[in-house]
This record gives sequence, C-alpha cells and structure tokens, in this order.
Amino acid sequence: MTIREKGYSHWDGQLLERRFPWTPITRLGIRLAFRKKYFRFIFFGSLVPAVVFLVGFYISERLEDFQFMLQGSRRILEVNPAYFKTYLSSDFLLFMIVMILVVSGAGLISDDLKHNSLQLYFARPLTKAGYLIGKASVVVFFLLLLTLVPALLFIVFKLLFAGDFRFLAAFPWLPLSVIGYSLFLTFFFCAYTLLLSCLSKNRRYVSILIFAIYLFSDILFGFFYETYKKPGFALFSLKANLQQVGAWFFRLKPAYGIPWQWSFLILLALGVSAVFVLNRKIRGVEVVK
Amino acid sequence: MTPVIVTCGLSKWYGNVLGLSDVSLEIEPGITGLLGPNGAGKSTLLKLITGQLRPSLGTVRILNQNVRNNPSLFHRIGFCPEHDSFYEEMTGWIFLTSLLSLQGFSAQEVRARAEEALGIVELWADKDRLIRAYSRGMRQRLKVAQAIAHDPEVIILDEPLSGLDPLGKRKLIRLIKTYREEGKTVLVSSHVLPEIEALTKTIILIHQGKVFAQGDIHSIRDLIETHPHMVSIRCAEPRGLAVQLLEKECVLKVHFGPDGRSLLVETNNRDQFFTTLLARIVQSRMEVDEITSPDDNLQAVFDYLVGK
Amino acid sequence: MTASPPAGIRSFPSSVGRVFSVFFQQGRRARRTRFFWLFSFLPVAVSLVIKFNQIFSERPGREGVYLFSNLIMLFYLQMIILITALFFGTSVCLEEIEGKTLPYLLTRPVAKAAVVVGKYAAYTVIMIGMVSVGLVLSFLFLNLNHLSDPSLYGLLGRYLGVLILGLIAYGAFFTFLGSAFKRAIFIGLLFSFGWENVIQYFPGSSQRLAIAHYLKSFLPTAAPGGRFSFLTFRLEPTAPRLALLVLFGLTAVFLTLACVLFSKKEYVLED
Repeated sequence: MTIREKGYSHWDGQLLERRFPWTPITRLGIRLAFRKKYFRFIFFGSLVPAVVFLVGFYISERLEDFQFMLQGSRRILEVNPAYFKTYLSSDFLLFMIVMILVVSGAGLISDDLKHNSLQLYFARPLTKAGYLIGKASVVVFFLLLLTLVPALLFIVFKLLFAGDFRFLAAFPWLPLSVIGYSLFLTFFFCAYTLLLSCLSKNRRYVSILIFAIYLFSDILFGFFYETYKKPGFALFSLKANLQQVGAWFFRLKPAYGIPWQWSFLILLALGVSAVFVLNRKIRGVEVVK
Repeated sequence: MTPVIVTCGLSKWYGNVLGLSDVSLEIEPGITGLLGPNGAGKSTLLKLITGQLRPSLGTVRILNQNVRNNPSLFHRIGFCPEHDSFYEEMTGWIFLTSLLSLQGFSAQEVRARAEEALGIVELWADKDRLIRAYSRGMRQRLKVAQAIAHDPEVIILDEPLSGLDPLGKRKLIRLIKTYREEGKTVLVSSHVLPEIEALTKTIILIHQGKVFAQGDIHSIRDLIETHPHMVSIRCAEPRGLAVQLLEKECVLKVHFGPDGRSLLVETNNRDQFFTTLLARIVQSRMEVDEITSPDDNLQAVFDYLVGK
Repeated sequence: MTASPPAGIRSFPSSVGRVFSVFFQQGRRARRTRFFWLFSFLPVAVSLVIKFNQIFSERPGREGVYLFSNLIMLFYLQMIILITALFFGTSVCLEEIEGKTLPYLLTRPVAKAAVVVGKYAAYTVIMIGMVSVGLVLSFLFLNLNHLSDPSLYGLLGRYLGVLILGLIAYGAFFTFLGSAFKRAIFIGLLFSFGWENVIQYFPGSSQRLAIAHYLKSFLPTAAPGGRFSFLTFRLEPTAPRLALLVLFGLTAVFLTLACVLFSKKEYVLED
C-alpha cells in the first residue's frame, strides 16, 4: 500500500526522545535574531575589534616593516597574555555585547511571559532547566562567537604568522585562559540577561534595564572613585569586576588594587541570584493575586 | 430606511496581499451579521468602517459623515475589538471609567454609565479586580462594556461572543437584540454560523476579501438558482412517494436514506414542490413523520457560495 | 440613558486635557513608574553616602556645590533623564501598539494628535516630578551646611530648569522616535549614548547638533577631566536665550512630527 492510500496510522517503531529537547528553542532564537537587520549590523560591527587585533598580530610579526609607524608604540604590539586580555575585556567589546543583549536578549523570556507561552513550552517534554538552557544557549552562541572564537583564532594566527610554537611554549596555559575567561564572560552575561528578561513582560523595559544597570554601575564607580580615590569602589562596576577577573585568568596584575576574588564573588552572587529568581519566575501557571 | 453605514468600492491592500476587494454595502438600522471564515476580511472591513485603517480605494460613511480623521463621530459609535488586549494593570472599573472620561462625560456621568454598563455585562462584583486576574469570559464582557457604556447609536462588535460560555453567549445575544428594538445599528462579526443565526436574519457573507452576498438568509438562498433546494421527508413508504414525485418537472433527483424510511428530494422550485407534495400526501393518505429543509440555513448558503 | 453629546468635546485642548488626565492617573500608578522613582533617587542615595562620609570623616572633602554641579548634576543630565525620557517618550506611542490597546484610543472622540500630546504631557509631568524631587533632595543633602545661603537656591532653580528642559526636549524627541520606529529603544540608546556623547567633542558648530549642548549652555561651570572625561567636553556654549528657543523649537518640531506620523501612519498590531 502506498503512503497516499495508507492514511494515518500509529507509529509502531520506537519513540526516540531528543537528547537535547531545548535545541529547537536555541535554533529559533538564533534565527529570529539574525532576521533583524540592525542586529546583524551590531553583531558584525562587534567583530571589528577582532579584525583590528588580528592586524596587530600580523604587524607584530613584521615589526621591521612597520618601524616608521611604531615609534614608541612597540609595547602596544607585544603579543602576550595582556594582548588577549585587552581584547576580551575591552570597553568597546563589552559595550557591544551589552547592545547585542539589548537587541536580541531582552525579549528571550519577557516575550514568553507577555504572550503566556510558558504553558505551551511546558506542555511539551521540556523541563524548566531545559527551557532556560535553550534560552541561555542563544546568548551563549552569540557571545562565544564574539569572544572565544576570535580569541582562539588569534592563537592560531599567531602560530601561523610566527611559523613556530615558541609563543605557545612561552604561554602554554593561554588557550585554557582564553576558553575559561570567554566562558566566564558568556555565562555571566547569560545570567544577567535572563535575570532581567524574566522581571518584566515589557521588552522595551527590559532593554532599558540591561543597558542602564550596566552603564549605571560603571558611572557609580567612576563617581565614587573620582570623589574618594579608593579602588574598592570598582566593586560597584560590572565592567571593572569583569576586568578584574580577566586579569586573574590571564595571570596579570588587576587594574584596581583589590583582590580579584571579591570581584569574582560579586559576579557569582549575581549569577546565583539569577538562578534563584529564574526558578521562581519561570512557571507554567501564572499566579495572579 | 436610511442606511447608517455606507461603503462604496472599499478595497484594502496590505502590500501585495488583498485584504478587501471592492466592497459596497449599505447597512441599515437593526442587527447585521458579518459572516466569514478566519482570514475572510471581516476584521479588515470593521477596521476600515471604524477608521482605524485607511482604505486603499473607496469610501466609508457612517451617519452620513466620513469616518477617517473624524473623531467627534465616535461619540455615536461603539467598537469592540477582536484582540484580547487591555491595560492590564488597571481594574475593570478604572479601565471603563478612563475610556468614558475620554468620551468627554462629567465625572458623575462617567460613574453612572460605568455602573450601568458593568451591571449589564455582570461584572459589577469584579470591578475592583485587576484585569490581569479576569477570566477570558470576563475580559470579553469588559470589552463589550466599553463599547456600549456611552450609549452609542452604532455598535460595531468584532467577534463579541468569542470566549464566552453558552450562558454568557445567550445573555449577550439577548442584549444585542434589545438594541434592535431601540433602533440602534449593530454590526456583529463572527465565523460561527449558529451565533449569527441566533442574532439576525440579515447577513453579509464575506470570503477572501469579497462580499459574496448580503441580505436576508432566505432571500439569499432563494437567489442561488444554481443549487437546487433539498427537502427531506421521513415517512412509512418513501419509495411509493418517490414514484409519485418523480413524475413532476420540479423534482430533479431523489435520494433514499440508509434507514429506509426517508428520502431526500432535490427541487428547482421549492414552492411548486411543496404544493405538489402536500397534495400527494393528502391524496394518498400517507403517514409522514417529518418534512425539513436541510439546506435552508446559513451553513448551506455559505457552503454553496464559497463552493465547498 | 440618553446619549447627549457632552459639552466641549470637539476642542483640541479639551481632548488633550482628557487624555492627560487618564494617562497621568494610569502612569502614576504603574509599576514601571515605581522603578523609575527608585532610579531617579539613586543620586540621592549617592549624595547621602557622600554626606555621611563627610560628617564622619576627618577630611573636609569637596564642597557640596562642587559635588552637586560637577557630579550629581551631570549624572542626572547624561544618564537619568536620558534613560527616563527614552522609556517614557517611546512609551507614548509604542505601548499602545505593543499592548494592542490602540483601538480603544482610536475609537474615542479624541483626535489622534491629542492622544500623542496628552500622553506626552502626562508622562513628562510624571518624569519631572520624579527627577525634580530626587534632584532637590540631592542638592539639599549635599549642601546641608549652607542651606541658609539664598544664592544656593538660585543655583538649584537653574539646575532644576535645565533638567526640566531636558526632559521636555528629550521626551519630545523620543516620542517622535516611538511614533516612527518599532525599534525606537535601540535607536534612542544609540542617539543618547552614542551621538550625544561623541558629537560634543567635535569643535565649532558641530556641537550644536546635540540636545545636550543646549542644556549644558545653561550650566554655570565646565566639568573637570579625569575619569569623567566621557562626561566632559570643551563647551562652546550657546547664549541661554537662543538655547531656550532652540530647545522649545525642537520640542515643538518633534511633537508635531510625532502627531503627524501617528495620525497618518497605519499601525499593524502584530507581535
């Protein structure tokens, strides 16, 4: 009997469960983000520093040819762990990450809350953790493309341009540091975005929260630092805390005279509170008082 | 009777997609049902009529005035939208009184009208609850309340019965029927045929952006000459009756029911057929259990017109 | 109940007044307004911290007026009012479109332009209330030792005036953005923290292409450099009267554009 004649019949074979049931959520989130023109503009614009740094790698291997340009600037082009840390924790990159989150991350959970979609999600074989992983993976995908991938490519290109493995021999832990810090940055921003996204059904409001909290924390730090000249105020700033932790990852001296562990604890506390709040907010049924 | 709502050659495109095509209507006071499947263009037509959309072609006049950019006309028009959207942080009372304030009533009159409207839709007990906490039916009733609270002459309701339970539907249908007695003009859209049938006999059938028919259900049915009428007869001797009926010119076909006690007759002249049928029944003293017209209803009319 | 048309429903100012009344009440009670109250009071908290530190510290610290003029005021000017005006300004049109409550307003006997102007006015009053209270409290806390000095209040009045003008001008601009673009927040952020910051470092007349330039033209002193370099610039101020005219002119232009767009545009209520 052909399929056309057979009509509907129940599947006799084995029902296979998808190993990662949240992957459709991630795929859809990524596809929807890339459909927006301005998102593509910001995303590819965020890769500009990567290109600039890559050029730096090239110049660092051809210093003699660029002598006329580099007078006094040779130190800038010294490729070492600080170079990688500078890229990964640069103000511009962090700012662009926040803009990407404003555009593509604000609506991740807030849109679902607005349209009461959580019931639809949880009427499928999907757990709360699966749902959150699916949403977080959208952010992870974009941020790793901006952090981990370029940074690993830097290492590859450095080795290619140098023609030997001396660089890696000098800094054998560097790939691990790159991976570790990229993941740390990514998971922090995941937690940050999802936490704020679950706080409101209004995507515009969440967009503003994502931007304002990041900016305000930095302004507050600058404000108190300018007034009291105490480095401890760096703990107010999300950016400064990320840079402090980055310094540890790359075995550098932190920019502000406070232990990196305090910065790490602050960021960890934010992550833990995100988990706590998300667990409470993400429910299949909305309780209205 | 002077038509209250007049559209002339009304068309609307959304880019390359045709939403409405060359709709010319004259809607008189009373209840008119706007019937069509999902995506037929009902909401588009209602939005054009209420001036929310600009026509690509054609004109709309209500109470002999242009609707578009004529806000003062909305003192006499009430509109119940299809979307289930509210200012969720408001209570039902605040929502209704806010919209009544926009109508320009004094504070006292706002209160009085809000009380009356909430009483009519039976939301008075829940007026101080947040709209967020309302059930689907309560939200729908609140939408209707805001459309009628200012006592408009023309009431346009887009799917007003959606989300209501059977009792709620019956009450709302009864309410809408009282407006006909008051001389108001009510235009109700729905894709559920029994709802429209319960409300009115005057319908506008719309499909794929075009008006297929307008008027009384029965008149429309009679005008569909291409489709013969069906008459179902349940009797003790269906075959004997069939033999007699088949002699008549007005009888086109006869089908027998599976139970062996009924026959379905197709006729191109219903009046002549019924005259003949009654004469034959009396003459032959046949026992007849039931005579019905299965296609003399809105469903059949709609199916014929949209070619299903 | 007979349907007698209420008196004066036809006049535009009356329609604006009705819309203002409704949305002022609604906006006042909204949850987001509570958040922005807190947001506007952050500088107050900062001022309190500074003041307490001054009281309990042995070092004299900077004068309150200096701290207020060069830090708190700039904090308000380059962050608080921008974020607040961005949210409330874009909300004038966008919250009706996103919330699909637009049909309720379009089927009332109020002109579409009156909806824009009325909502803008309501939200601007709410914003001014929030920011003013925060600003005044910050000023008072930082100048606790000099409250008997009458010249301080003239300064406070000027600062308050600048913030109010800022909220009015930015609010109008963001109202226009909200009526024209779906992604007004994104464009607004780029404008506020991109364009407005960057253009002020350009010399000559190019500075005049930023609203912030005209606001800062009213401020008495230029801000210091250092960590706050992104808040400072080489100001080539415009004369105050001209700046006032420009700000009101921009407000009128953007509001008019918003009204025209809102009246003419067809908003598709989709997700």
